[in-house]
Amino acid sequence: MGDLAAAGAALRYTGASIGYHGTPVLTHVDLNLAAGRRLVLIGPNGAGKSTLIKSVLGLVPVLDGTATVFGQPPAQARAVTGYVPQTDSLDADFPVTTAQVVMMGRYRRIGWWRPTRAVDRRAVTQALDRVGLADRAGTQFGTLSGGQRQRALVARAVAAEARLLLLDEPFNGVDAVSQDAILTVLRELSATGTSLVLSTHDLALARELADQVCLLNGRQWAVGPPGEVLTAETLRRAYGRHAVDVSDGRTVLVEP
Amino acid sequence: MNWWDDALHRATVEVLLCGALAGLVGVQVVLRRLSFFTMALSHATFPGVVAASIIGVNILLGGVVAGGAVALGVAALSRRRGQNAASATGVLLAAGFAVGTGLVATQSGFSRDLSSFLVGSILTVSAADLVITAMVLLLVGAVLVACARPLAYTGFDRTGAQAAGFATGVWDVVLLLTIETVVVTIVPAVGTILALALIVAPAAAARPWATRLSTLTVLAVVFGAVSGLAGLSLSTRWDIAAGASITLTATLLLAMSLLLAKTKEAQRGRQG
Repeated sequence: MGDLAAAGAALRYTGASIGYHGTPVLTHVDLNLAAGRRLVLIGPNGAGKSTLIKSVLGLVPVLDGTATVFGQPPAQARAVTGYVPQTDSLDADFPVTTAQVVMMGRYRRIGWWRPTRAVDRRAVTQALDRVGLADRAGTQFGTLSGGQRQRALVARAVAAEARLLLLDEPFNGVDAVSQDAILTVLRELSATGTSLVLSTHDLALARELADQVCLLNGRQWAVGPPGEVLTAETLRRAYGRHAVDVSDGRTVLVEP
Repeated sequence: MNWWDDALHRATVEVLLCGALAGLVGVQVVLRRLSFFTMALSHATFPGVVAASIIGVNILLGGVVAGGAVALGVAALSRRRGQNAASATGVLLAAGFAVGTGLVATQSGFSRDLSSFLVGSILTVSAADLVITAMVLLLVGAVLVACARPLAYTGFDRTGAQAAGFATGVWDVVLLLTIETVVVTIVPAVGTILALALIVAPAAAARPWATRLSTLTVLAVVFGAVSGLAGLSLSTRWDIAAGASITLTATLLLAMSLLLAKTKEAQRGRQG
């Protein structure tokens, strides 16, 4: 952990191409995210947001250029990264309770066969409490609403005590209560030094949350503070007809 | 006379053990949607078992070798993108069965035993078979308890498990080989064709009544043992093949469970 803390950058990508089986899905990625900062990935479906997140986890290879996570190759930094997948990638029929899902965040610390300790159970209780699901601990995960499921997955990442949290479209199909609960937790985590990477196509949310915004569409088009990147001109250059001007002079992204 | 000398007593213990074993592993088969794989596996053990009995080695060994080859083959196929694992599994299933029947045909005077491979011969189990089944039950139980976390994480959220550093490919192989061990163990008792029903039906019947993996497993084990016991008693009372009556009992249990679950759901729907 010592040399990880010494490495100032949570993420450092230079000229990176990312893809499967030798075929790049996303190119020209240049990122430098300081530890404790918040990066929002913007782009329509298929832009490469999930691919970039999975490359940080070492699940999709960097084909060209370099990528490091806290100064290490991505796959070797998994001990300090936490992942919040899109809820529809899960098997909702699987018989696990909400508390058991959150406990999965502790597995890496416990090991795959050792019994859980008091500290693990406490971490699960606290994480459930932070996302407002303490009363749902014993409920089957699959019976939760979409927003509650997303909160449970955020709780799982909180319980993992990750230093870099990666969230793939955490606000997709999520009700307002859950969105507020998740945003509150993310701000708290950020305030205590956790780095965040979050993908969305909600530009308003990006403006509100991001220290840095990264525009993706098969390649990286722009990266920087939201005020510089989320301009009508840049958005139109990156997305063409997917960037649409709305009445109050703002631009929104629409799906094809 | 020793209690164990009675063939029916030995058969009773064997169906209890086989039912419990099938229910135990059936939970994993149902949750991971591996029914088709399990069917291919049971059919692939068939040529191995026949070959072993022709050569004159232990038939369990023949089943283990043939089933293991299929389990690893399917694991390898499913790792390659673009390969249709279901089609490949289907072809393996048919090919394995064809090789088995071909082998049987080469041996004159073998046909009486063919049906015992296909539908099992619970009444011919020896005391040694019982010891083996009991040991496999203990072993599989221990493996499933020890590996519960990675298996559940992989089944529930594969990408999340990988992101958390679990080698999901390795855990897939552990699971497939565990299923194979169970199939090979119960096939001599309940038969190649009927083994699948005893594995899948109790777990599927338990599925609507459990919200936790632990509850589901206990229920499936009980349902499996009950199916075995009730099936055997029906078979001795009306003199029908034990494998068939066990399978039909398990299927009936599943039908009743699904019907009850539907009724309960409809009632809840009316109240809500």
